[in-house]
Amino acid sequence: MAAIECRALRKDYRRGDEVIHTLMDVDLSIDAGGFVALMGPSGSGKTTLLNLLAGIDRPTAGSIAVDGTEITRLGRGALAAWRSGTVGYVFQLYNLVPVLTAYENVELPLLLHPLTRAERHRRVSEALELVGLAARHSHLPRQLSGGQEQRVAIARAIVTRPRLLLADEPTGDLDRESAAQVMDLLARLNRELGQTIVMVTHDPATALRALRTVHLEKGSIVDATVRAEAAP
Amino acid sequence: MSTLLRTVPYVWRNLVRRPLRTGLTVAGIAVATFLFSFVESMRDGVRRATEAGASETTLVVYRQNRFCPFASQLPQSYASTIARIPGVRSAVPIKIVVNNCRASLDVVTFRGVPEEGFIEGKMRTVRMVEGSLDAWKSRGDAALVGAALAERRRLRPGDRFTAAGVSTWIAGIFESPDVQDRNVAYVHLPFLQESAQRGGTGGIVTQFNVEVEDHASLEPVAAAIDAAFASDQFPTTTRPESAFVARAARDVLAIVGFASVVGWASLAAVFALIANAIALAVRDRVRDHAILQTLGFTGGTLAWTVMLEATMLGLSGGAIGAAGAYGVLRAAGINFTMEGVSIEVTSGTAVAVAAIGIAALLGAVAGAAPAWGAARREIVQGLRAG
Ligand SMILES: Nc1ncnc2c1ncn2[C@@H]1O[C@H](COP(=O)(O)OP(=O)(O)OP(=O)(O)O)[C@@H](O)[C@H]1O
Ligand SMILES: [Mg+2]
Repeated sequence: MAAIECRALRKDYRRGDEVIHTLMDVDLSIDAGGFVALMGPSGSGKTTLLNLLAGIDRPTAGSIAVDGTEITRLGRGALAAWRSGTVGYVFQLYNLVPVLTAYENVELPLLLHPLTRAERHRRVSEALELVGLAARHSHLPRQLSGGQEQRVAIARAIVTRPRLLLADEPTGDLDRESAAQVMDLLARLNRELGQTIVMVTHDPATALRALRTVHLEKGSIVDATVRAEAAP
Repeated sequence: MSTLLRTVPYVWRNLVRRPLRTGLTVAGIAVATFLFSFVESMRDGVRRATEAGASETTLVVYRQNRFCPFASQLPQSYASTIARIPGVRSAVPIKIVVNNCRASLDVVTFRGVPEEGFIEGKMRTVRMVEGSLDAWKSRGDAALVGAALAERRRLRPGDRFTAAGVSTWIAGIFESPDVQDRNVAYVHLPFLQESAQRGGTGGIVTQFNVEVEDHASLEPVAAAIDAAFASDQFPTTTRPESAFVARAARDVLAIVGFASVVGWASLAAVFALIANAIALAVRDRVRDHAILQTLGFTGGTLAWTVMLEATMLGLSGGAIGAAGAYGVLRAAGINFTMEGVSIEVTSGTAVAVAAIGIAALLGAVAGAAPAWGAARREIVQGLRAG
């Protein structure tokens, strides 16, 4: 069963009298356990598409079904609950709440779940362990490097064990080495935990780490490549 | 519900990890709440001294059109006339000597009272802290001193105490529920008459304190007393004690009434401080809030965190300010005395609790609009704002 099924997806923005067609009739299916790299020039609608998949923005027309749930029909509250249980999101920059430590940032999404303190502690520690930052749990974001911040953000995105992990240029602001660490981590999450991942990137080499690349241009999908195996 | 509780530490960290901003805001709220509590305590003191309670049964008979103890002169012999008026339980002639007739914070008031009547009446309602009633009875120049006056002048039993030309020996110190008592020295009536008027005007007193049988007979008895002496050489004006104090304290009342403006302004300052701090905080955290919503926080949960933060600011600043006012008033014990009557400004738990509650409530109200804004903001706009 397809994890994600988008049909005739459209997104228009209004700026004064002008209507900007950001996404035009996008059809996209992503299998459960898929790892998709979303590429395309600046302004082509990548972030917009990712936001629609994450349920933090609403399409002008079309449908989005995630594991059979038609999220375009959910109300505000139901959509928030759905995000909390289903989606992990990693932004390019400023992912973390600045007054909270790494540990507290990762704990945030768990506050919405009926878990005891001890259970939350176990899950947060596991997630930090997984991203290799257990020793940094009490550091504030400003005390972490960019790459470490991104890994904390990934820990926070996966701590609720969501079925869908979305990342918008997660390595866009990192040096090569940090970027490689983050990509290794995403590839492992996909391979070992079967996490479905959709990742936006500008970098062709980074895109090769995914199993499939989708190209967007001016709001439409122009090309899709499927690889039998991701680059190491 | 439990989600809301689990977000409390998040709100707390937002406050304590911005110590400068939080500290300045809380300090401002504390100062404003201090002022408010102080003014309210003053109003409270005035209210207690001047508003007639339903249980009030004391009348004060004063010389008509005279407003200072020096000027109010009545024959002691009136006491027996007053005592015969129906509804009167007792009438105690009192001679009052003060060292200052104008409004002041350090007035010494001597009340000369006859031994009989005073001991069965007034002294039954008080508690001796030091010394004894027997010591007072044993000496002609003995004085029983109210606790507030004793503390202010640091008086102990056995001390000699001189003020307003009256030199007494302290026999005891007592605590009384009546504010007027706590600031006076009770001496023997003949002694005070003698010391005050060495020229032989014995038999002259300042006023009579009249106990009536019940509250309802206050007015008719007052009218009957004034009628009895209307055509006499020394006509009287008789008022309930609270009204008497209110008249004497009219200047202080006016000041306190004006001070209530300061109280309201302080509350406005509390509101403005919290509204400003929260509006800035919410604007700074547009990105944080968008991230929280992406993680699945609802608008309602966000609004709760904002309201809670505002309420915590009000609560903590309010608690510090109210506790400060409570402590200062407790330590300083302020008494306004004028024309021989006293108004006491004391620290009351009711005022403190009310001040804290109001500060917290103002916090919640001040947080409401920013909370609503945070809850309604579109996530995508919030993310772009970062
Ligand atoms: N809230 C908005 N209001 C108006 N226009 C918007 C809004 N959000 C996006 N757009 C427009 O939609 C188009 C696509 O934006 P989007 O952010 O999806 O591009 P992108 O492919 O992610 O670009 P980049 O690689 O630069 O991040 C752009 O032209 C952008 O200006
Ligand atoms: Mg983008």
